[in-house]
This record gives sequence, structure tokens and C-alpha cells, in this order.
Amino acid sequence: MITIEELRNCIHNGLDYIKQQKDVADAEIFASWNEHITVRMNYTSDIPCNGIHEPKSTQTSGIGLFVVFHTGKQTKVAYGSVSQNLTPKGISEAFQKAKKNIIHDPDFISLPVPAGKPLLEKYHDPAVMEISDEAIVDLGWQGLQGALTEYSQQQFTESIIIGGDITIMKERMAIVNTKGIDDFDESTILTTNITSMIEKDKVKGTGWNTSTHISDFNPEEAGRESARSAVKTIGGERISSGTYTVILGRQPVTDLFSNIIIPAVSLSSINASDTPFLKKLGKKIASELLNVYDDGTIRGAVGSKKITCEGIPTGKTGLIYNGLLVGFLANNYLARKLENNLASFIPRNGFRYHTGGRSYAIQPRICPTNIVIEGKEEVDYQALLSKVHNGIYIGRIWYTYPINGLAAGDFTSTIVADSYLIKDGKIDKPLKPNTVRINNNIADILQNIIAVSKDKKQTTVWGSEEVVLAPEIAVEGVKLDNISGFII
Amino acid sequence: MLPRRSPIASRIKIIFVDTIKDAVTKVIQQAKSLKDCKYADIRIGIDERKYACAEDGKTRSAGENTPISFGIRVLAGEVSAWGYYGQELGTTESTPKSIYRKLTSGINSAYARAIANARKKAEFRVIAPSLTEVRLARIDIHNDTIHAVFDEDPRNIPSKDITALSTKISHDMRSVSPNIQYTYVDIHTGIHRELFCSTEGACIDQAYTLTQGTIAVVAQKTGGIPETYYDTLGDLRGWEVVKGKNVYQQSLTEFALLRTRETLELIDAEFLPATSEPVVVVTNPHFNALLVHEIIGHPTEIDRALKLETAYAGRSWLLRDLHDNELGKQIASPLITAYSDPTINGYGHYKYDAEGTPAQRVNLIEDGILKGFMNSREHAAILDQPPNGSMRATEPYSVPLVRMTNTVFANGNISPSEIIAEVKDGYYIVNHRIPSISESRENFRISAQKVYRIEDGHITTLYRQGGITSDSKDFLMNIDAVGNDFQIFPIPNCGKGQPMQTMRVGNGGPTLRSKARLAGHQ
Repeated sequence: MITIEELRNCIHNGLDYIKQQKDVADAEIFASWNEHITVRMNYTSDIPCNGIHEPKSTQTSGIGLFVVFHTGKQTKVAYGSVSQNLTPKGISEAFQKAKKNIIHDPDFISLPVPAGKPLLEKYHDPAVMEISDEAIVDLGWQGLQGALTEYSQQQFTESIIIGGDITIMKERMAIVNTKGIDDFDESTILTTNITSMIEKDKVKGTGWNTSTHISDFNPEEAGRESARSAVKTIGGERISSGTYTVILGRQPVTDLFSNIIIPAVSLSSINASDTPFLKKLGKKIASELLNVYDDGTIRGAVGSKKITCEGIPTGKTGLIYNGLLVGFLANNYLARKLENNLASFIPRNGFRYHTGGRSYAIQPRICPTNIVIEGKEEVDYQALLSKVHNGIYIGRIWYTYPINGLAAGDFTSTIVADSYLIKDGKIDKPLKPNTVRINNNIADILQNIIAVSKDKKQTTVWGSEEVVLAPEIAVEGVKLDNISGFII
Repeated sequence: MLPRRSPIASRIKIIFVDTIKDAVTKVIQQAKSLKDCKYADIRIGIDERKYACAEDGKTRSAGENTPISFGIRVLAGEVSAWGYYGQELGTTESTPKSIYRKLTSGINSAYARAIANARKKAEFRVIAPSLTEVRLARIDIHNDTIHAVFDEDPRNIPSKDITALSTKISHDMRSVSPNIQYTYVDIHTGIHRELFCSTEGACIDQAYTLTQGTIAVVAQKTGGIPETYYDTLGDLRGWEVVKGKNVYQQSLTEFALLRTRETLELIDAEFLPATSEPVVVVTNPHFNALLVHEIIGHPTEIDRALKLETAYAGRSWLLRDLHDNELGKQIASPLITAYSDPTINGYGHYKYDAEGTPAQRVNLIEDGILKGFMNSREHAAILDQPPNGSMRATEPYSVPLVRMTNTVFANGNISPSEIIAEVKDGYYIVNHRIPSISESRENFRISAQKVYRIEDGHITTLYRQGGITSDSKDFLMNIDAVGNDFQIFPIPNCGKGQPMQTMRVGNGGPTLRSKARLAGHQ
């Protein structure tokens, strides 16, 4: 394990060295250490299995060096990185690499400059930093125990599948540049997502839990929740194809935001002309009930960070306000490239997430922190059901993609679990999993929101980096197609 | 005191494997002395690569990198269980002695996890009797060296040439029309060398070359919906790939400009109307690459079939349980044979998998009958079958998973033009775009780059933003023609596992004719 002090010493000594090198106009040094631990669960009551299949971890550390050279009349830039070497030799090696990788990028304007003070300090858990091999394995078994106990109490012992994982991230980074940025950050994240099934009854349930501190982390409850949810949906019914009013539960809301909406409000999509929101800044793109912002400063939320991987303090970036598109997620490079007389962007989302942590090996991309979804007027769960009156509660969707490219806004997905019919403003019978495909355009979904719930929960989906503080959202006019479900 | 300079020549290169082979062999044998250690292996790999990317005719990044990392698996404990450890390495570990130290520490961590895991497994067996000790199916132990194949060694290609090529291609794409809004080109070329050593005595030193170009283009008429497309050209070969030695038999420049013109053509096309009933569709080999990937390849990965991916990428429509499944049953038209073969050329080529099992062809479907699954040693033991060498990891530090190799529909004997000529009223689905598959892969919607109407055997109107949707079994059973134009395409980004690993695989087949509903712009 590498300490913050070691990272800071490395970058400070390194900057002194780089500043003395020929033709160097500006430089930025980023150093990081990360450990990504995953404990994968796999329990199958009818197939020989391991219970906890993979307790594993990956450690990375190194230096990433960005250098601006003035050579003749041209400004040139270069990036070099080295792994597992925070010594002076490592800095020198990164610099030699950078010199070899030099390019002329006419769109590069400047390195980031200091921008205020961070709002979040000392938000990591030292106990997580020191967690033992035995303790991480134990967390996995706690998750499994929760689901097994719940199933056993409800008299289900056969045809059970329990899968998912415990993920623990330990991240340390430090950054310095010649424009005055000099800061560091330390974070810990614990998440668990557990999916369980009673396969013969064709039902699946989901449970999840997130925390920045181990004392608040409860994989056992996530396991129990997944089992309870599966049992509740036994005896599901099919529905016919048609247009429905639905409630999107927290997981579908997160899936839609992570895979469709958030990528569409990133400056990288604007830069590539690949978003349905091109030239829509200041215009109505959603129901006036909807407010969305990114906020990396929420204490206890697992997407929070003190500073970005460019050294800028995190903060709140408005994206949708009363249905109007009011902002985009930005990093320093694209904020400066795309700013004009009509729009400017604060680069609060320049992160280097890559293979489990804040990676020295890559330059900053645009990544969300905590996406917060709110309603202009929020309602409780019962009012949400009443608003829908007759329709479908969709609890979990799967494989959500912008099927015709992000710019077209079309998306498709299937409903796989945790879903019910709504009748006369009440939850009625369960919906049979894997029998409905959603085929819609995201513009219609956003415009047709009719209510947003008060209660929110930190939610993540497979393969995405951000956390969504997700409410349940009622939407009308959602097209649902009846599909097979003929095998499983 | 900082050194004045550090010569590039001192950096790790793939020949470094020669100097550490003895240390790796020795350290893994020491794992045998750990109490209750049943098995251990190490994979240590180095990637010597160069890359460049450009947008809109402007260079965005370029460089050379040589990442090195290792991954360790240990099987230990009375009720044996797995423990894993992975780490990157750097130049400070560039001696056999320091490598030995790092690997020893990694083995100890993986061992501690395996022992803790095995203890818990034993404890939980009381309430969960299916918890079983891990057994590995037997394989022949190999000591072998496999050299990388190339005509033009990537290590000899100057970085500035790669940078210049990516920048020029993205510029040329952008220059095709004022309606081209964005172009992107990414090129990388290099050699990966990986050493696999196990407590069983295996020592396999494999190297492969990889050269790949990815392009993206966005075209838009004023006020219209942008048309976007991206595609990849590549092969496990040297720099000759970008000059035309690839499945497309086009240089990267020709390939990029063709895709640009096609995207441009689409902005004037009508949107494809969706249908509520199935229609006759002819799907081309590029489209079928993604189709076979999604509805046959993934469901025939045995870890998925045995429910290990339930929480992530889903289960398999081919196996409900060990006693109730589709093995030996008709799941496709008798015209359909499909197999997975890492011994043939393509992105899924290798000689040994990540467990040291020799690569081999796995027959998945023969004449429409489901015949088998791609497997690993552990899962082969559960099913009492021989291992067939399908385990791979994206990076040495990642855990190996069962992966597609070159997974394809087999060739047929009718020309694609005959297949189309026989269609009175139907649609020609050209080149894959984006998939969305249901949980057990029993239903799919896949979009196509282009869709053409077929009228009286002739290709007529071009449509945009279309694709097809169907239940997988219905589509496979309705196939009534298989072309003789078999091709394997590079699929560079197959995601699986947690944390997700992005793997390169080869997929393809010939032209097929079947029935499916059309899906269009919403």
C-alpha cells in the first residue's frame, strides 16, 4: 500500500525536476494508488458450486505526466506514464516517454487552473484501507447468508441461484501542476449487488447496498432483500403488447440514466455530435417535473470525491432544471475547447477511472459522480401508484442500449425481475419476468414523466461508473412488447 | 537526487519474459509446499504496443507503452476453494529477484483468500449442501513456446507513422462532405507475450501480434437526426493489417472512407418502418457476426449456462439445469451448424487457453442439434466432460473466464445473390450495429447499419435506423438458406465478468435467410 505522503512527495519532487527540463512550458503530474477488491458470489442449490467463487483483487499504482512544450512557434503536448514506480527514476522515465509521445493538438488550450476550495474532506474509512483478506471473504459469505436464510425461512431450498458481488475500492491520488493546482484525495467505496432466483418458479429478485464506511455496509440485508423480492414475484402474469403508464423503479431509472441520458449530457457526446441534445442547451427536453444534477460532494454517497483527477474541487453541476437542459458534464480539455460566447462549462467531472480506480495510465475523461434525480413536486409511493392507477411497476430492466445510436435516442431493454401489474392504484399481481421488451425513444420518456417519488436510494448498475440517487418515476405512453420467455 | 535521464532502452520489453522464466517456474513450484494447496498458476504478461488517435483531422494522442502485470490463482483448503491476486508491475521490478519477491507475496495473498474461503465453505455446507470442493478436470501438461506472427513487426513501425496515418484518415473522412460532422480514428499495433506456469509443471510462453484500427463517423443534414457508425478492422498480425491484409481486404484508409460514404448515404434514406409480424429477412455475414455472438456464442459459454453470470450478463436459454436442457435437441434449422474454433485465424485465435489447455474446435450446433458448450477445467469436471480450452482473461491480472473464441455459423453452399434472388418480398439486413438481448438470450433486437427492401429478387430502397427483432429459437428454426460467403470479423469489445473484462473475439458466418420482425426508429 502506498501512502498519500509518498504520492505527494513523488509529484512535488517530480514537478521540480520537470520544470528544469528544456522547452517545458507547463506540466501536470498525477500519481495514484488503487486497490480494487471483488468477491463474487455464485450459489446454485442444484448444481455443484463454490458459494463464493472469486475473492480477488487488483492493485495498481504509478505516475501520469502531461507536459506542454514550446518548441519554435508551436505548442506541443505529450503524455507519459509509468507503473509501480514513484521514485525519481520513475518521473524521469515518464518524462522520457512523454517526449517520445509528443503531438501537436490545436484544440489544447491550457492545463486546469485552481478553482475554489473542496467542500468534502476526510470522507474515507481508514478501516477499509486496512481490511484483511479474511474479512473481505467474510463479507461475501454475509451476503450469501442473507439470501440463504431468507429463502430457508420461506421454505425454499431447491432451484435457488444466488449471484452478485461485494466490491471494495480503495483510491489514493495526488496531483500538482504548474498553474497552481496542488492537492490530494483519498476515498473508500463498498458496494454489493445481489441477484437471486427461484428458477423453477421463474422469478428473480435484486438487493443492493452501498457505503463509504464498513460500519454502515450491510451485504446480509442485500441478500435478504433479493430473496424477498424474488419470492414476492412468484406466479407472474404476461401482459399483451401495447402502450402503458408505468412506474420505473430505482434500478430501471438508474439503468436509463447510466446508459442513455447521462452519456447524452456529457460534453464528449457534444464534441462528437452524438447526442439527441445537440443545440438544445436552454431548451425543454423533459417534463417540467424533472430536475437532474451531478453532485460529487454528498457525504456518504459512493460517487463522491474531494477533487477531480484534474485537481478541481467537485461540486454541483445542473443538467436538467424544470425540464430545461441547463448544463453538461465537462472536463478541462473539452470545457475549454467548446466554450464560446453563449456557453461556458465548469470542469467538475474530469476523472481517470480505468480498470478499477483513478488511473495514472490515462488522461482525464468525463465521468459522472453522484447523479441526483429530483422532482419539482415529489410524491410518496402511494401517491405515485395512484397517479398511475392502472399500469405496470417495472423493477428491473436489462441490456439497455441506444439501439440506433445515442443521437437517435431510440433505446430498447427487457424487463427481467421485480415487476408487477398496478390495478386501481395498488400493486396487484407480479409480472412474469423476461416476457416484455421495452422499445421507446428517450425523448418521449423524459417528456412523459408524470410524477417523481420522494424516497431515493443510491443505486448502481453493472458496468457503469456513476451512482444514481434514484427515485421511482411514473411515465405515461411507454411502449411494451410481449416477447418469448419460452425457455426459461 | 534525480537522474538526468533515463534511456528508453532500459524499459521493459517482451524479451524480458526470457529473463524471468526461471524465477516464475521456481516460485510457482514453491506454492505446492503451502498447507492444503491443491493447485496454483501464474500468468505474467507484457504488452509492447504503440497507438495513436485523431479526431476531425487533428491528432489527439499518441504513444508507446509496455504494461506488465501478473495474475495468480490458488486452489487451497480442505474443501478446496479459489483465491486470486493480480497486480501491475513496473521498472522497479525488472530483475528476476524482485519479480520473485512480488510473485511470492501475490501467492501468499491468493492463498490466504483461498484458505479463508474454504473454511467458510466448509462451515456453510450444513445449510447449503451443493457447496462442493473445486476439482479440475485433467489435462495433458505442456511446455511450449509460441511466437508472434507478422509480416511487418509492429516494433519497427515508427510512432510518427502511426500518428500521421490516424490523423490523415480522420482528415480524409471529414473532407468527404460538409455533412460529415465528426470523424475519429484509433490505431494500435503491438505484441503481447504471456507466460503461464502451474504447479502441475506447465510452462507455456505464448506471443501474439495485434493490429487494429477503429473508426467512428457522424453525418447529419441540417436539422436532421445524426447518423452515427463505428466499425473495427483488425487481425492478430502486424502492420500489414492496415495495408489491406485483413478480412475486408481493404487498407484502413479505404475501409474508413467506405464507411464514411455509407453513413453519408444514409442521411438521405427513409427511416425503416417497424412491422408487427415477421417478414423474410436476408442477413449478411457482418450482421451475422453479432447475431451468432449474442444468441449462440454467449449461451454456449458453460459458466453462463451453469448460472455464474446470472447477476450480470444473464443465463443461457440452452440449459435450464443439468437434467433439463437442450443438449441433443433441435434448436435450429437442420441447415445450421455452428462452432467455436481458436485454431483458425481470427481475433479468437490461440494455441493454449489461460489454463494451459490446448485450443480446439468445439462443435456447438450440428445440423440444428445442440452438441456442446465452451468450458473450463473446473466446469468440465462438474459436467464430467473433457476440458476444451476456452478460458481467457483480458489482462494477465484479470481472472480467466469462459470466452468465445472464433465462434461462427458454418459455411453453406448457396451464393448470396441466389438467396436474395429467391425472395419475392423481404429485407436485406446489412452490417451489425448495436445489440440488445434478453436475459437468457432467448430474444434479441439487433440494429443494422443499413436495411434494403428486396422486391421480386432485387435490392431496392435503402432504409436507415432499422434492424430486426425475434425470439432466438424462432429465428434459428426458420433459417431456410445458408450462403457460401463465410467470413470471420473482429469483435474487439465483448464485455463479461465483474469487474467487466473487454475481450477480443472472432465472429462470423455466411449470409442467412430467415424470418424476423423489423424494428425501426421510435
